[in-house]
Amino acid sequence: MRSLAVRVRNLVVPLVAIVAVWQLASSIAIVNPVLFPSPAKVLLAAIDMFRSGVLLKDLLVSLRRAAAGFVVGASLGVTLGLLTSRVRLFSIGLSPLFNLLRPIPAIALVPIAVVWFGIGEESKYFVIAYTVFLAVWLNTHHGMEHVPDTYIRAARSLGASRSLEFLQVVVPASAPHIFAGLRFGAALAFLSLVAAELTGASSGIGYRLDEARQYILVDRMFVGLIELGVLGATLDTLFVWLGRRLIHWEQA
Amino acid sequence: MNISLGPTLVDQGGRRPRALPQDTATDGHDGAGRIEMTDVAIAFGDKTRQSSDVVTDIDLTIEPGQFAVLIGPSGCGKSTLLNAAAGFVRPSRGTVAVDGRVVNRPTSSVGIVFQNFALFPWFSALGNVEFPLKQLSLSRAERRDRAIAALTEVGLGAHLRKYPGQLSGGMKQRVAIARTLVLSPEVLLMDEPFGALDAQTRLSMQALLLSLWDRRRSTVLFVTHDVDEALILADVVYVMSAAPGRIIRRIDVDTPRPRAVDRLDQAFLDRRAHIIGLLRQQHVTDIT
Repeated sequence: MRSLAVRVRNLVVPLVAIVAVWQLASSIAIVNPVLFPSPAKVLLAAIDMFRSGVLLKDLLVSLRRAAAGFVVGASLGVTLGLLTSRVRLFSIGLSPLFNLLRPIPAIALVPIAVVWFGIGEESKYFVIAYTVFLAVWLNTHHGMEHVPDTYIRAARSLGASRSLEFLQVVVPASAPHIFAGLRFGAALAFLSLVAAELTGASSGIGYRLDEARQYILVDRMFVGLIELGVLGATLDTLFVWLGRRLIHWEQA
Repeated sequence: MNISLGPTLVDQGGRRPRALPQDTATDGHDGAGRIEMTDVAIAFGDKTRQSSDVVTDIDLTIEPGQFAVLIGPSGCGKSTLLNAAAGFVRPSRGTVAVDGRVVNRPTSSVGIVFQNFALFPWFSALGNVEFPLKQLSLSRAERRDRAIAALTEVGLGAHLRKYPGQLSGGMKQRVAIARTLVLSPEVLLMDEPFGALDAQTRLSMQALLLSLWDRRRSTVLFVTHDVDEALILADVVYVMSAAPGRIIRRIDVDTPRPRAVDRLDQAFLDRRAHIIGLLRQQHVTDIT
């Protein structure tokens, strides 16, 4: 309990300090208030957006896109990662292609996604799933390929069948890598979400950012940025917490 | 009667029921667990390129129930030879056979204990020992009981639920030994198993190993570079040369057990001087 209090304190105190400095800078007019609004103004804009309903609606729409894209991309990534690392044919056929696709940034895919799928939900799912897929695939593939030889030798000399070896040795041995891939993929999901929403969307946090830009409503843009920051940090904390429970042996 | 390790373990292929370990404890051997290496050479590197032998001209027979120790300078290929007996590497020439069957892949009748323990960190101590039993048609309760008995036998009855990360080096090696012995292998290979342990722990592990071996009399092939360890444990010590490793001397150790370094007799000291002399010679020829 005490450690929780300490953790909350360590989180809240610096944030309050930063906001205070920010407010101070705005009050003594070091910065242009139109380009860099004060925290109070940003808060008012947030309340305004909450009252009109766009805040929650955008949040839910964006979360749904990120979640759907993540689930599709992550499942494909883990499945194909298992296949390319364990089945030679898949590795030969697919690994070069995936390695070629990896450097292509998500934002570069948006135009083609819009052409293929229109400006509806599908194009967002596609861009997000694609980005998540490559990150998760790479980590899964890499983790499975680097299972320490001693584990395999131990399993085989203990008479383990291939399926037992796979399920209870190879998978847990590569679980830390797979999980790191999922965590990284979740962060990328937000990245590509915004990329997809900035062009060709009519709702979502990214769309709201672009809309605010057109009217130079910087306070509203700040609301969107803070939303993304809080959302991403919360998600990452969740992943870390989950990782500690699932892959408990890595901490030891 | 020791029910812990199961009277009729069937090995992986289900070929035949194995003899009771405790049957063998009375008279010594039951004829199972003979290791034969015939004109073995092992080379690393692929076949197309020039590859040099790591070990060569290995001819040795280890009788069922015998405790054999391989000792040699580092890099002489003693671990490689052990890996060949385990079925992890194939000799480039000659054959390694256990009870007349050529070893070409790992099997559960040849158990191995590694220096780095090779425990599965995602399983508890109990989970690690249960792992090999999952191949057998046992009920959950039976499997658990056997694993608990094996861990109790190595003195870890109070630490069943601990994970490898929570155990000391000596305890980890106890888990690893229990995990290997729970299948009652006819041959037990040990690759410098106590090399990573401190001197105190090492002595207690040697004593534990000897008492386990005394109850089972499975054949043991034990690799070490510690002369005292070799002389405390072995029925027979094979001294290897520097690379490419050959067996340069076989030394029978007939000192009755229990032996201890603090109760040395003249024969022990003579053998020790002999082996150290042989190893030093190897070292000298190695650097000149």
